Amino acid sequence: MARLSDSEKLQPDWWTKTLAGLILGFTLALGLVGLFAWFGPGGIDAAVKVQFNMWLICPIWLLIVSFSFLFRTGWRAVGYLSLFNILVYVTLYSFR
Amino acid sequence: MKVRSDVLRIYQSIHTWTGIIAGIVLFIGFYAGALTMFKGAIEAWSMPPSLTLPQVPAEKLDDLVTQVLAQDDKAKTGFSLSLHDEHQSPMTWYQQGSERELSMSNQIWHASLDEQGQLLTQLSTPSELAELVDQLHRTAGIAGEVGHDQAGVYVLGIAAFLYFLALVSGVIFLLPSLTKTFFALRKNKGENRFWLDAHNLIGITSLPFHLVISLTVIVFAFHDQLYDGLKHLVYGDKPLFAIPAPDRTLYSLTELPRVETVLAKVKELAPDYQVNEMTYMNLDNPRATLRLGLYNPDGFMRGPVTDYLYMHPYTLTVSNSTFDPSEGGIWSRTVAVFFGLHFGSFGGDLGRWVYFFLGLSGAFLFYSGNLLWLEKRRKKQAAEQSRASRLMASATVGVCLGSVAALAVSMLLGKWVYSYFSNINYVYLSAYYSIFVLLVAYAFWRGAARAALLILPLCAVATLAMPLTSLLALVFPQLGLWAPYSTATLGVDLIALAFSAVFFYGYRLTRQRALYGPHDSVWALPIRSQTSNVNAAVPAADPKVPV
Repeated sequence: MARLSDSEKLQPDWWTKTLAGLILGFTLALGLVGLFAWFGPGGIDAAVKVQFNMWLICPIWLLIVSFSFLFRTGWRAVGYLSLFNILVYVTLYSFR
Repeated sequence: MKVRSDVLRIYQSIHTWTGIIAGIVLFIGFYAGALTMFKGAIEAWSMPPSLTLPQVPAEKLDDLVTQVLAQDDKAKTGFSLSLHDEHQSPMTWYQQGSERELSMSNQIWHASLDEQGQLLTQLSTPSELAELVDQLHRTAGIAGEVGHDQAGVYVLGIAAFLYFLALVSGVIFLLPSLTKTFFALRKNKGENRFWLDAHNLIGITSLPFHLVISLTVIVFAFHDQLYDGLKHLVYGDKPLFAIPAPDRTLYSLTELPRVETVLAKVKELAPDYQVNEMTYMNLDNPRATLRLGLYNPDGFMRGPVTDYLYMHPYTLTVSNSTFDPSEGGIWSRTVAVFFGLHFGSFGGDLGRWVYFFLGLSGAFLFYSGNLLWLEKRRKKQAAEQSRASRLMASATVGVCLGSVAALAVSMLLGKWVYSYFSNINYVYLSAYYSIFVLLVAYAFWRGAARAALLILPLCAVATLAMPLTSLLALVFPQLGLWAPYSTATLGVDLIALAFSAVFFYGYRLTRQRALYGPHDSVWALPIRSQTSNVNAAVPAADPKVPV
């Protein structure tokens, strides 16, 4: 493995990455679950599906939080997660 | 597998800090959770057999219900029937309190029939020991409420969040060495290595269990907030829960279908299930409900023990079921799997035992994690360890082992003083908290080594005394004690005996290390380092470690 220069290495940026994962990760997880809720099997009106949807949030959210630390800097985490949020919510709100 | 070193470093930090923050409360959650796998057995163990009236055959239940309803007004609002459980009276109802709220002073009527078909009844305040163990499991013993929820549940929810991060980060920073050292348990490479290998082996082999537990605990704690999020961002004007218009007709008790009829109907709906419990609620008002607890040893249950079926008690219309086999039931069946995976309510008795050991191994994971942190920060050849290490060692020993000891002593004490108190539950509560606080204080006052040498033998003696108490009860019935009266209650005593052996073994190892182990450690007894120079001359000769 080639040696990485300091600017190529992951910066810890604990606070920004953690907050990005916690907040933007949560809204992103909700948005993705929203896509599943509306366009997934059974649609939005399927009985009891809301419980399944609720359960789905946590694994997605926690995986996002866990892997937010792989962004090179904290601001990259904020930037990418915001971008994904916008994409997901634009899709959700224009087609539901 | 190769992972970049900067990635490894980041995830190593995450693993260390999340583990250190969450480990201690999770330890309590896990060991108490392992015990709740046998909640029914612990409940029965804690009460004299005379409190329970004998079961009656299913065909006599109608006779029993009719006789009780003819003479008791409280039972007319609701009651429970228990089938197939030797530890339960066939019919019970609340004189004071209710099933829905946790109370230390419930009063419950028990009813059964004698051989001539005559009604037998008695009133008692049940021992809530098993319920308290369950509370300890859910809140780590942290009292107080936030809104209408228990504060401890939120604390464990947050701990479970950190625990998930600890799992992911632990796996990532183990990846490079995983294939080489997975099954290696190196005992001769120093104290640190053995603990690290054991920690990794258990963590990786039970990873799916741990992922499931962490995710379900987060959901159990924060489902209200998650539903709120769904409501505001996803569902919009759509209702989250479609509530069908309920049957609001008011029926009279004389219209109540016979138990036989209900059982026949259930047999038809769920042929593979056996009815364990029937709870009639709100019989005197339009919200009348009958909840059935259905058990299938080969099934995947939604509740801690059983699946549930909700019916209208008068019309027998099904309103809800956790095992609805139709296509429309796919979502509730799937959700039931998440619950069952947390409760370990699948795979019958074998599943229960597997979860018991998984729970204990989880407690070991957190305890060993803290020990590893301490070993890593050990200052070699220093006269005194750092303040952080000493405090962490005291907290680990005081809180983790202190909680185990406090529970064991409370259980034992409850059995001995049962006949002297009208309500044993306050004895449990005050004994648990006072012993726990004392032991934690002692651990911070005298340090981890001394505390471990007090608490471990205390655990060993208290758990050993449980089966001895049962022996005494057999030999001297006049003591007011009671011996095991079923396989399950005998099981509690035998498990206590096994625990006692483990605690005693742990005590011996800890003592060995405190007296003869290296002195540059939080586990060394300070007095010895001054008085016995013989041992100080050969510090790392004995790689014994504390438990």
